[in-house]
Amino acid sequence: MEPKELEARLAGRLGDSLLGVEPFQGLAGRVRFRPEAAMSLFLTMRDELGFVHLSCVGGIDWVDHREVFYILWSDALKQYVLLSSDLDGKVPHIETASAVWPSANWHEREAWELVGITFDHHPDLRHLLLPEGYQFQPLLRSFLLHEPEELEVKTRHV
Amino acid sequence: MSEMWVNMGPQHPMTHGLWNLRVRIDGETILEVDPEMGYLHRGIEKISEVRHYNEVITLMDRTCYVAGLAWEHLYIIAAEQALHVEPPERAQYIRTLCDELQRIASHIMWYAAFVQDIGLMSPFLYGMRDRDLILDLFQSYTGGRLTYEYNRVGGVRNDLPPGFTDRARKVCDWLVDRFKEYDQLCLDSTIFHKRCDGLGVLKASDCIAEGVTGPMLRSAGVARDLRKDRPYAAYDRVEFDVAIAHGADVTGRYLVRMEEMRQSIRILRQVLDWLDKHPGPVLASRLPRWLGAPYAPVGREGYLLKRNYPKGLGFSSIEEPHGEAQAYVVNEGGEHPYRVKFRSPVFSNLSAAPRYMLGYRVADIPPIMGSVDICVGEVDR
Repeated sequence: MEPKELEARLAGRLGDSLLGVEPFQGLAGRVRFRPEAAMSLFLTMRDELGFVHLSCVGGIDWVDHREVFYILWSDALKQYVLLSSDLDGKVPHIETASAVWPSANWHEREAWELVGITFDHHPDLRHLLLPEGYQFQPLLRSFLLHEPEELEVKTRHV
Repeated sequence: MSEMWVNMGPQHPMTHGLWNLRVRIDGETILEVDPEMGYLHRGIEKISEVRHYNEVITLMDRTCYVAGLAWEHLYIIAAEQALHVEPPERAQYIRTLCDELQRIASHIMWYAAFVQDIGLMSPFLYGMRDRDLILDLFQSYTGGRLTYEYNRVGGVRNDLPPGFTDRARKVCDWLVDRFKEYDQLCLDSTIFHKRCDGLGVLKASDCIAEGVTGPMLRSAGVARDLRKDRPYAAYDRVEFDVAIAHGADVTGRYLVRMEEMRQSIRILRQVLDWLDKHPGPVLASRLPRWLGAPYAPVGREGYLLKRNYPKGLGFSSIEEPHGEAQAYVVNEGGEHPYRVKFRSPVFSNLSAAPRYMLGYRVADIPPIMGSVDICVGEVDR
């Protein structure tokens, strides 16, 4: 599927919430969307376009805002697609994808603890790689590698 | 009977790496599973942000310590896209060679550990003996046996030494015979079948919902292999079949991995023939000079230097021995990547643990978890 074709099919569903589909490294496209339309985009991608497999969820810190991206795969098209959304505000948040693709569960936990993106209605949003009670988001640009942080590690289970 | 939580790990013969499997059991039956990760989290994605593009390769070897070259390959494709560099054709074939040798080495390592989990001791030693032959081949052209640092943006570091292809062919011939012995040791063994058949079943629909890839997905009868579906390096120019099985259980995963090793040998023979006939450069000739700098400024200062840096995004996806790995490299100009995100196949295969473990017995945990082929280094990164 070409980015143009994908854009035409998504535009009817999402309207203004679709910010554009850019060509990207042989993928079906890089879909940029407003976070409010997340759920309807997810359902459209899975049920109508056949992107049944969610590979990856991640976040990027752009200092003034954060970006969340999803990588999906379609067995029918044999193609990936990348969904990307800019999240503004002090507490960047977006609807969870784990209701649509259960595989998003751990990826969103990781993005939450490392990049500080909150996923609304996530079934189990707790630390995965970092110790419980860890106060920092290491993948933010403000987290410098050269400054030791004060850290008190609590045991997870008593 | 009263229920209780049992910690299997972080130090446990079943774990093969540093992680903790918490299981809630009622007598012998597993009621709930909670894998606990993070013991090996080194922040590789964070460290990559302050490393030169070529220095990240060093971290890739440590990401998955049984499949270092496959992870180098994964990163290097994305980095080359982000930097707009094209590797020469011979480098593509050498990378294919590395990938397939690494796949066999990783699968043999899995075989050795897995059969030991189910109580067959001697195959472990045979497995390690045969894996060493591949490590010897790696040593002869990369200098390393575990961490190679062989790929470079724009190609590979050096060409193969004289006589390499003949040595590699001999190893291939030797291994094909050994695979038969592996099968005799396992498939002809009653213990193996009693401990593995019908265990850890994860059907194709569940695999897809949970993002499970690699041999686990193919053992459920889904012929999905990125080497066929989305060819990279030289995979569109070699012939091979995708190994699948239909049990979706532990035995199925065993069969898929065994067949994959035979297919890898088939690919290797074609690649070695090609390499014999087509000498040439292995590193792109026109590379930006700053890319060759041994040390880059640390931290953000690098962005302030007035140089002509390209910008770009790179995305790569390869069929790693464990499944489908992805790398997303964001290049905002400068000598370091702005953000690198890796998708580890084992991460997703492990997150599906509640689906394929509930209802089985405590003694079934080692074969089931062994069949997942866990590499904690790439889960925690």
